[in-house]
Amino acid sequence: MRSHIISALLMILLITVFLSGCGKNEKVITSFDDAKQAKIGVMTGTTGETIAARRFPKAEVKSFDDIMDAVAAMKSGQLDAIVTSYPLAIQVSKKNQELSRLPEPLDNEDTAVAIKKGNYELLAAVNRIITELKSDGTLVSMKSRWFKEDLSPYQEPEILLPKAGKVLTIGVSATREPFSFVDKDGRVTGHDGELARIIGLKLKRPVEFSNMKFMALIPALQSGKVDLIVTGMTATDERKKKIDFTQPYFANAQVMLVKKARGGKSASGTTNSPSLTSSLVNSFRSNIIQEKRYLLLWDGLKTTVAISILATIFGTLLGSLICFLRMSANSFLNIPAKIYIAILRGTPVLVFLMLIFYVVFASVNISPVLVAVIAFGMNFAAYSAEIFRTGIEGVDKGQTEAGIAMGFSKIKTFIHIVLPQTVRRILPVYKGEFISLVKMTSIVGYIAVQDLTKASDIIRSRTFDAFFPLVMVAILYFLISWVLMQSLEYLEWRTDPKSKRRKVASA
Amino acid sequence: MIQVEHLSKKFGELVVLKDITIEIRTGEVIAIIGPSGTGKSTFLRCLNLLDQPSGGSITIDGVNILDAKTDVPKIRQKMNMVFQSFNLFSHLSVLENLTLSPIKLLGMSKKAAEVKALELLKLVGLAEKACNYPDELSGGQKQRVAIARCLAMDPEIILFDEPTSALDPTMVSEVLSVIRRLARDGMTMAIVTHEMDFARDVANRVLYMDEGLIYEEGTPQQIFENPQKEKTRAFINRVRSFNYQIRSPDYDLYAMNAEIEIFCEKQILPKKTRYNLLLLVEELLLICNPRLSTEILDLTIAYSEKKETLEVVFESSGDALDPFDKNLQPDELGLNIIKNLANNMEYQRVNNKNRVTLMMKKTS
Repeated sequence: MRSHIISALLMILLITVFLSGCGKNEKVITSFDDAKQAKIGVMTGTTGETIAARRFPKAEVKSFDDIMDAVAAMKSGQLDAIVTSYPLAIQVSKKNQELSRLPEPLDNEDTAVAIKKGNYELLAAVNRIITELKSDGTLVSMKSRWFKEDLSPYQEPEILLPKAGKVLTIGVSATREPFSFVDKDGRVTGHDGELARIIGLKLKRPVEFSNMKFMALIPALQSGKVDLIVTGMTATDERKKKIDFTQPYFANAQVMLVKKARGGKSASGTTNSPSLTSSLVNSFRSNIIQEKRYLLLWDGLKTTVAISILATIFGTLLGSLICFLRMSANSFLNIPAKIYIAILRGTPVLVFLMLIFYVVFASVNISPVLVAVIAFGMNFAAYSAEIFRTGIEGVDKGQTEAGIAMGFSKIKTFIHIVLPQTVRRILPVYKGEFISLVKMTSIVGYIAVQDLTKASDIIRSRTFDAFFPLVMVAILYFLISWVLMQSLEYLEWRTDPKSKRRKVASA
Repeated sequence: MIQVEHLSKKFGELVVLKDITIEIRTGEVIAIIGPSGTGKSTFLRCLNLLDQPSGGSITIDGVNILDAKTDVPKIRQKMNMVFQSFNLFSHLSVLENLTLSPIKLLGMSKKAAEVKALELLKLVGLAEKACNYPDELSGGQKQRVAIARCLAMDPEIILFDEPTSALDPTMVSEVLSVIRRLARDGMTMAIVTHEMDFARDVANRVLYMDEGLIYEEGTPQQIFENPQKEKTRAFINRVRSFNYQIRSPDYDLYAMNAEIEIFCEKQILPKKTRYNLLLLVEELLLICNPRLSTEILDLTIAYSEKKETLEVVFESSGDALDPFDKNLQPDELGLNIIKNLANNMEYQRVNNKNRVTLMMKKTS
């Protein structure tokens, strides 16, 4: 058994290594003219996206959720250029020797703090704070400390926030070093992290960060899940229709990130490529050991397992109820159940998850983990209800009749006779459904839950290494599924009546 | 013990039981026989309310079980049922099948229930299968376990719903002998069965059901040796019949012959018999031919599986006329052929009709 797993993991590793070596067609861009027909990567929902489309109408523009995904794509030859903001671009070129940015900016955009429309009091207060920070030189000092071209450690002043008071929730997409990112202690930091803390200090309110996908930030602000967005967001006209912005705190240039020409100045970096083992060791060190990133993974893993198990329990209970309603002869009960099943099975889980978080529980202060458990549980219930129904209907009617004829009530017949046979029947399908639930939970990053996938996103945003964290997370998901599968298989074995006798026989 | 009065049962438009009135007394063994689809099983299932009756009343030990206040599960504990398809609980071992209801329903201790179950398994000859699961038993063994499972609840009556119909012929007798033994021990039983010989020697009373009614009822001797009613007789003798109507002298002989052949094939009659039968019918029709232009002639061929007899009946309206009257025939050839093939040639005048009955000779 164990050797099977090891060989399976090796296969995954080899295939990935092989695939990552494919698809390299070099196109070197040295000016905006070269980029006219290039493949350009942008971040979904950022100004870079609109600029790229406007400036390079003939180019192939591809949208990515996060900068590290785009960098990984460029490294594997799927992109020729990336349009992103200046601070991100220096960060990327700092950590990726083969990439550089074109000196000329594409556009200058104002970065500002976003606030829900109508919240004039807070808007005025934050505006006042930014004016203050501008005049006393804090912003200039922050800029020099965070947006620097070398790899020396960041210098961050300690800000002592008040412990009590109304919590100020800050929406961030902390995969954007140096604007906002997660440091080795798992706290959100960066230029905007510091800014958010300063705002909290001046407002005399404790600060909490809600780390989510960039595109989920505005819905979160609108629904009141967060009070402010401080994460290098550009104040575009389109966004201004939905939310308010303070005065800009940073003039953000959009620049183009390109690959350096081969054989040129940076030839030294590419000629003597390190061996596979030493690069794996390096990757392991930078992705796992450095800044104690394994802790991040460990926390993510715990969250993933917790959501999976709780959602399964909740979904199984709810599914039993739905199944009961669905099997009722009364159409007042079975029609709602049918509708529930049809809707839940016909909606993508991600959409459903975001609907629950940003619409249903918009004005309720509820833990995103709980929301994830509810959403996945409801989805799981729809599937498990149908699984239960087929299982129950699959038990021969004669079994029920025999029970009733013996003098069992309907309920007792179900408990003692139908249910044990149903459980044994449905377990194989149920197991599969459970495993797909475990994997489905990888989308909870959209509602600011830090699970295993999100942990790998955070690591990738710091190291810009696509291969290692992704393969590792794949392996971790596989292991979680495998361990949980074993426990269900044990249950399957236990419910097989003949196992009892085998046990006696082998004892 | 059980009084059934004017019981009726409809499934939607379909009336299965019309009006059933009967009393079952303690210690009686009642065999219920009759053709398929006449409501025998439905009657049995109405007795323990597996099927809810549409009308009438059922009283058990003075309690009307159709009353909404009656604790039906409690009553069912006293009248267990053996099914055609065994219905052993497939997730439980043979022993657990027997102990489940005494433990859960009678509150018996596990130990006591197991001791009793093993005793009952010995009674049906399956003690060594106690730890096996139902899918490891043969049909006959399953049914014996099912009977033992009923006995585990100490029932006052056991209802058997075609207990041997799903069994291999080789396994029927092992199940029947267990039931015979229960009958000897004085167990009250109602048995729906197609095993006539078994019904005859195990039952005190036989009910012949047909058309949703108890068509005829009596001791086994009355029903099996001297049934009073036509349908009972046909059923007991396992008579199958074939009808053909001839309306003109230009009838289609070949079509008729083909139908007779199909009938014969279904009854698995030997080729020789088939040939003789066709010859006999043809000769009879030749004799009757002059009258076909004015009269309608009904031909009936009846085969009794039990007696292994083949009866041919001709019925025609019109004036009294004996076709066997030698004076009416141009020659004696046809009559001789007929005499050769059949015995018991009879002419009767019934209900203003001429009826000729012949019994085919057995072909050796």
